[in-house]
Parts: sequence; structure tokens; C-alpha cells
Amino acid sequence: MADTEKRTRHNRRVRDDRPVALAMLTPGLVGMIVFIVIPFLTAIFLSFTNRRLGSPLPVEFTGFRQYLLVLTDASFLRAIVNNIIFLLVVVPVQTGLALALALLLNRKLKGMVIFRTLFFMPVVFPMSLIAVIWVLIYAPGQSGMMNSLLEIVTFGYWEPKDFLHNPWLALPAVMLLSVWQGTGFQMIVLLAGLQGIPHTLYEAAALDGAGKWHQFRHVTLPQLRNPLIFVVIVTSILSFRVFDQVRIMTRGGPNDASTTVVFEAIRAGFDRAQVARGAAMTVIFFLIVLTITLIQRHFFRHEE
Amino acid sequence: MQRRRLIGNLLNYLFMTVFALLFISPILFMIVGSFKPDAQVLSDMGTLNAFFPDEVTVQNYRDVFERAPFGRYLFNSAVVNGFIVGLGLLVNSLAGYALARLRWRGRRLVLNFVLAVMVIPFEAIAVPLFYQVTVLGWRNDYWVQIFPFIAYPLSIYLFYSFFLGMPKELEEAARIDGAGPLRTFFVIIVPNAKPAFASVAIVTLLLFWGLYLWPLLVTAGESVRPLPLGIATFYTLPPLQWGDILAFGVMMVAPILIVFLLFQRWFVRGVASTGLKG
Amino acid sequence: MASIAFSNVEKYFDDQRVIRDFTLRIGDGEFVVLVGPSGCGKSTLLRMLAGLERITEGEIRIDDTVVNEQTPQERNVAMVFQNYALYPHMTVRQNLAFPLKMRKLDKSEIDRRIQDAADLLGLEPLLDRKPKQLSGGQRQRIAMGRSIVRDPSVFLMDEPLSNLDAKLRVQIRTEIAELQKRMQTTTVYVTHDQVEAMTLGQRVVVLKDGELQQVATPQALYDAPANVFVAGFIGSPAMNIVRSRLEKGEGGTFRVRMGGTSLPVSEERAAVFPGLEQKEGEPVLVGLRPESFFVAEEAASREAQIGVVVDTVEMLGHETIVYGRFAEEGEEEAQTVTARLGPNLRIDLDEEIRLGVDTEKIYLFDAEDETSLMDVQQVAEEIGARERNREETPAGE
Repeated sequence: MADTEKRTRHNRRVRDDRPVALAMLTPGLVGMIVFIVIPFLTAIFLSFTNRRLGSPLPVEFTGFRQYLLVLTDASFLRAIVNNIIFLLVVVPVQTGLALALALLLNRKLKGMVIFRTLFFMPVVFPMSLIAVIWVLIYAPGQSGMMNSLLEIVTFGYWEPKDFLHNPWLALPAVMLLSVWQGTGFQMIVLLAGLQGIPHTLYEAAALDGAGKWHQFRHVTLPQLRNPLIFVVIVTSILSFRVFDQVRIMTRGGPNDASTTVVFEAIRAGFDRAQVARGAAMTVIFFLIVLTITLIQRHFFRHEE
Repeated sequence: MQRRRLIGNLLNYLFMTVFALLFISPILFMIVGSFKPDAQVLSDMGTLNAFFPDEVTVQNYRDVFERAPFGRYLFNSAVVNGFIVGLGLLVNSLAGYALARLRWRGRRLVLNFVLAVMVIPFEAIAVPLFYQVTVLGWRNDYWVQIFPFIAYPLSIYLFYSFFLGMPKELEEAARIDGAGPLRTFFVIIVPNAKPAFASVAIVTLLLFWGLYLWPLLVTAGESVRPLPLGIATFYTLPPLQWGDILAFGVMMVAPILIVFLLFQRWFVRGVASTGLKG
Repeated sequence: MASIAFSNVEKYFDDQRVIRDFTLRIGDGEFVVLVGPSGCGKSTLLRMLAGLERITEGEIRIDDTVVNEQTPQERNVAMVFQNYALYPHMTVRQNLAFPLKMRKLDKSEIDRRIQDAADLLGLEPLLDRKPKQLSGGQRQRIAMGRSIVRDPSVFLMDEPLSNLDAKLRVQIRTEIAELQKRMQTTTVYVTHDQVEAMTLGQRVVVLKDGELQQVATPQALYDAPANVFVAGFIGSPAMNIVRSRLEKGEGGTFRVRMGGTSLPVSEERAAVFPGLEQKEGEPVLVGLRPESFFVAEEAASREAQIGVVVDTVEMLGHETIVYGRFAEEGEEEAQTVTARLGPNLRIDLDEEIRLGVDTEKIYLFDAEDETSLMDVQQVAEEIGARERNREETPAGE
């Protein structure tokens, strides 16, 4: 009894988990602040200076000078254009392919799991490895694998090309392997979406006289809306994050034909130690990604 | 009707098989090529022979170990990823739980913070973070490759949504039985959240095993560099021997491929759950 | 062992008030059932008592100690959840041991208590299984066991039977009643099922929209419902309530009109409604339980008969439930009426039948605030005295 009274005097609230909650969150919060928020703010700060690594000059505020320089830089502008082309081609091709595969795999047939595994496999491959293998596939000359394949499908009309050193083909070559690597991911997401559609909807549609096409158009597509928006947005963002394959395969060349925004940012900030310039590119890159993300949130909100 | 369906199925299988083979042909090419003499890799490449080994040799694999510190790269990758995944599970599950289940003022604010941070891609902080660690003189060790990726907003969010969907009664029962929030988490929640831990572990492993950009910026030399940099370096190492490079590739992807095949269920679930919740 | 007191308890979720000025005393060792439709706040009250929800206003005391700020463990309450909330990754034994480990009891004491609980509930063969391997009834018993081992001062049960099938529900209901009688632990039990409430509770608390409607013994709730809501909620099928007017007939008997018929309220019955005189000529609500009707041929007086046009007949074997309309319309539009009649009746649909009314069982409610015109307190006490007598008489022999 006395014991109970003593406890009551604590006058503790029944449930305020704040101390525990903060304790549980601290490692995560500290990590995110130190390694994401602070560098991010640093990027914004640096982008308004003239900071270079190893430069003896004092750091000065230069206002929007870096942005002005970056946005009038031919290579950087080319990078933005390349990323946009990348997005406009890769997103529809990859999504269409992934949707087709998901629809095929969604049938209740034996062995579909094996096909799913095969199509998903490239996703687990590190991009650096994929880039190296595809360098070999794109080998110039008649004996190159891609050249041979194209020769066969065009009945001999294809002239062997050096893909990665051809200003017209370098970017498409990079796009092709990116599609190859990314399709599996989209397919899995869409397949999970398809499997979440209640079967009764199709039965109801069939009873209402809807054929296969109408079922797809009026049941499948609306039900897949969220996964579709998701994969389109993620792929769009990834289209702007392209770096590894460009660095390994083409180094942005020839003549900036395959350069990307991130590649330019790293080249400036790391290879050339122009930290401020790289930071400005980074900020522009972030603003692009942010815009795409806001478009996504807009779509999701509309649906609610 | 039955017959038409049978033919339809057969056509379906046929198409899928052809397409799947075409799809994984680069992988087949890599595996087959890694067992061929170097000269043959190039000469077979333009023909169907690329996918059929003629004389099998493991010479390429021996070469890899002779010409490059493959074991070192593998060890480095294992250490870095082991810590990122292990510490990440602990840190992010705790944070996800505090956000999903504990009651405290400021919860919404922190949740929104996590969602906002999730938007920032790593590429957007690579340059300034590189600048920061360089200024601090912190380079070329394991920790500089590990620490930036432990607290990971996507993982926090995945744990958050999983815990949000768990029935509350277990925790309430534990509270009535006298367990505090920390004990409830470790003794009651964690053992019943294996699917979430498995999915997040696999998704993060998938994301970080191939990490290339960050180690490129903060490491030099082979002592702490992971496999993705290893292959990029090896591929530029003269003389250019494609058989060796392919063998390197096979060994590099083998660990994660094995993990993938063994835990495919969690893999698929994890990847799908990142997508469906939006 | 503990007594419980709620004093002016209120609960808000954000701006919404879900419990309003709730006051209740529960005696040591008492079995009290909270009942009401879903959303009435019964579970919230239980959870506030358990320490799972904060109390916005007012006080809850356990044994004269204010527990508002205490953790569930400090309150020493045990709770059985609707879905049992057994820890899935632990064996039955580990489930039972968990609350004891939390209280840092030593190993031998833990083993002893688990053994006692296992003996009491017959859990011995299940001790090393996991919850997944058990049937619903077994899980329910384990959940009870987990509460018992702690020797709590209060048992809380939140719809513990609702996940069981009908047959098992009856069986475990009896077990719970026996267990509570044996252990004499103060128990608060929440349910939406009036049968559970009536069979288990020594007292039943009826709630609606977060407000206390009535606290009484099961018999008193049935015989003297405090208002129209309780009258309709307790008893199945629900009481018929008809809007009417209180009149005074020849010889000074009060009469009410129902379905075009003027029913007399017997003198004896009128005595339980104090102040009827003032209500003369006023509108009232008349209540008649379906079981107060009988087939008219058996009736002596033609005075208390009502014509009913039959809409639906449910033959349940041991009884017949008739749903219909009054044949003659009263001052209100046609109203439906439910009657519970004997077995083996031949009743055709759309036929008019004559039903006798047991006018000793008429209920009268205020037409405005729907409270009973009965002196509910008085009647409940009389019922209580009668019940006590009945219990004591055989004991005294």
C-alpha cells in the first residue's frame, strides 16, 4: 500500500513516450541530419561561393554567379537535354515493356515464377558490372555482339558501328542497358499491383459483357493507377540520376554526347575540384528531382 | 475451347521462353564467357557460340585472383554492406517504431521531416558530402563508406508503414503485463516483424551492394575499395582480357544473386512494398 | 481484490467527447458488465481503467488510490483482449510467464503460478505449444490464464467471446462466470451482446453515445428500464414503443390507446408509476414487450385485445415471432408491432389476428425526454430484495 502511494507521487502522465521516442529516434535523426541535411544545406551554401578544393584564394560570396556560369555552360546544358531525352525515351519504353511482362506473368500458369525470376535478375546486378559487360556487347566491328545481332535482324543492311564512340549512338546505347536493368523492378511492382486487383472485379466486368480489351481498359488500368504513377515517377527520377554507366562506359563522350547532369556535377566537384560549381549543379539537379516528386504527390493527392 | 486454350498457353510459353532467353542473354554471355579462353570470348561473340562453351577452363578465375586483389574487394564489400545493413536495421526500425506507435508531441513533424529527406537523392549530396569529409580529412576507410548510409529514410518509412499495420493489441497486452516501450519493441515487436526486417535488409543490400559513386569519391587504392570499384578498375587494367573481366563479374554478382535466389520471396515483397504504398 | 470508482470521468478524442460525465462505483469482488451498441464508449472506459487511454477529466480510483497517472502495471490490472493478443512467437508457457518476469518474480514462483493457472484452466497439455497451433477456445483460455497468473486486483475483459462460434461462446461464458465466482476478483467486462451482459453481470451498465443510461441488476434492467433506449436495448426482440396519450376512463382506470384500441392500465400496475395523475391527457410513450402478447382465444376479457395484420412470421420451433401492423390506425400513422407467441400456430400472411395484451406489463415513458414514468429506483430495490430473499432461503435451510 505504501509502495503504491510512493509511485503515485511521481505524478507521471499515463502515456507520454517522448523521452523513449526521442531516444529511439536519435540515431536515425542524427544520421540523417549529419549525412543528408547538412551536406544538402552545404551544397546550397557552397553554390553561392567560389570555393575550390586546394585553392589558396579566400572563399568569397559570389551570389548567383555559379548558377549563371553553369546555366550558360554548353556541356551542362547538353547534360540536361540528354537527361530529358533519356527520360522521354526510357520511361515509356520501360513502363510499356514492364506492363506487358507483368500482364503475361500474371496468368495462373506453371513456371511463371521462373520467368519472373529471370526478368528480375538484371535488377540485382550492380550497374558497374552491367556497364562493363555491355561495353563488351557494344564492341565495335563485325564481330561485336550487338553489331552482329543488328546485322541479322536487318538482313545484312546494318553497317558495324562503334556505339560508344559514335555521337549519335552513345546515348541510345546507354539508354538500352538502363532499360534492360530497370524493367524487372517496374515489372515486380506492377505485378504486385495486378495481383492485388480483386478477381471479382473481372468477373463482374465479364458479366456486364466487357471483353478482354474493355476489362483491361476499365478494370486493370484504373486499378493499377497508383503502381503505374509510382513506377513512372521513380523511373523519371532515376533518368536524372544516371551516373555509373556513363562514367564507366563513355565518360560523357564523345563530345558530351552522353553526358548527364550528375556526371557533370561530379566532374566539376570531384575531378576538377570545383566544389562550388559542382554544388550549383547539384542544387539544380535537386530542383529537377523535387519538381518530379511534387508532380507525383500532386497525382496521388488528386486520387484521394 | 479446351484446345484453343491449350494452344494459347503453348504460344504463351514459347513467347516467354524466347523473350526470356533474349532478355538474360547478357548474363548467359557473361557466365559462359567466363569459362572460355580469352581469345575465344572475342571470336565467339558475334555468333551463337557466345552462349555455348567449347572447352571449359577456369583459367580466367585463377587470373582474377592473380591480377587483382579480388578477395580484398569482396571482403571490403562484405564489411561495408554488413555494417550498413545491420546497423541500418537497428537504427531505422527503432525510428520507424517511434514514429508509428509511440505517442508524443512532434511525431507528425518528424514524420514529415523523414518524408522530405526521402526526396533528396544521394547524387544531390555527393559533392558537398565529399567536400565535408575531405575538409575533415576523413577518407579512405570503412566507416566513411558506412556511416552516411546507416540512417536511411526509405528504410524508416518502410518500417513505419509495416508497424502501422500491425495490430495494436500485442503492445497493449505487453504494457498491461508491465513492459516498457523499449522492451516491448525488442521482445514483442521485433520477433513478430520478421517479414519487415527481411524485406528492408534485402532492399538495402540491393541498393548498396552496387554502390559506385560514393566509394569512387572517398576511397583510393584497393585496401578499402568495394567490388563495384574493383571491376571498374580491373576493366581498365592492361592487358585487356575479357575472359578475366567476365570471371570477375560472375564472382562479384554471385553473392547477391545467391541471396536473391534464396530469399526471393522477401526480395519481391520488399521491392513491391516500396512501390505500392507510393 | 479491489473496489473501483469512476468520478465524473470525461474523455475527448481531439475535440470529440466520447465519454460524458461518467460516475460509477464498483464494489470489491463485483462482476460488472458494460454494454451498449458499438461506439457507445464502453471499450474506451475499460481502456481508461486499464491505463491504455488517458483520462481527460475526472478521476478513476482503484482502492481509494487515484490511478489517473499510473501505468497499467502500477494499477495491477489484467486484461483479456477481443483477439486474445497472445504473443505469437512465444509458447503458452512463455506467454504466461511474461507478465511474471516483468514483475521480476523468481523462477520457482513463476513455475508455481503457471502450474496453478494451468491446473485451474486445464491448460497443462498446451503449455509447450505456440498460439498458432491452438483453437479459438484454447487461445481464449490461455488469455484468461495470462490474466490469472498475475493475481491482479482487477480483471478487465474486452469482448472476450466475440471471436468464438456460438456454441463455444455459451460454454466459455459459463466458465468465466464460475471462474470469477471462485476467484472473487473484481471484474469489468465489456460486450455489445445483451445476452452476455444479462447472464454474466451482477450489475449491468448500459451506455449510449458515451453517456450512462442505467446501472442495475439484469432483472431490474428488464423489469424497470430507466428510459426508452434501455427498454429497447435489453430484451429480444425489442420492446414495442408506441406514441399515445394517457386518458382516464370510467371507474378511474388509466387507459392508453394503442392500435386503435384503448388498453386499461391495471390499478396494481398504475401504482408503480407515481404522478400519473398529472400526466392525464398528456402524450406518453407506451411500451409493451413482445412477450406480453398472447393469442386472443385464451383471453378472458375482450377489453385488452388488439387487431394485428401479419407481415412476417418466424417459426422458431419453441416459439413464433409475428411482425405486423395494427389493424386499426391510431392517431399516428400505422406502426409496426412485434409479438412473441407460443409454438405451433397457424398464421397466414396479411391475415388479421386478435392478440391479447397482458396489461400488467405495460410500460410508460415520458413523451418528451423518453425517461420511464416508473419509480425505477424503487422497483429495482424491490427486485433486489426479492432476489436476495430467493438466494438466502435455500441457504438458510
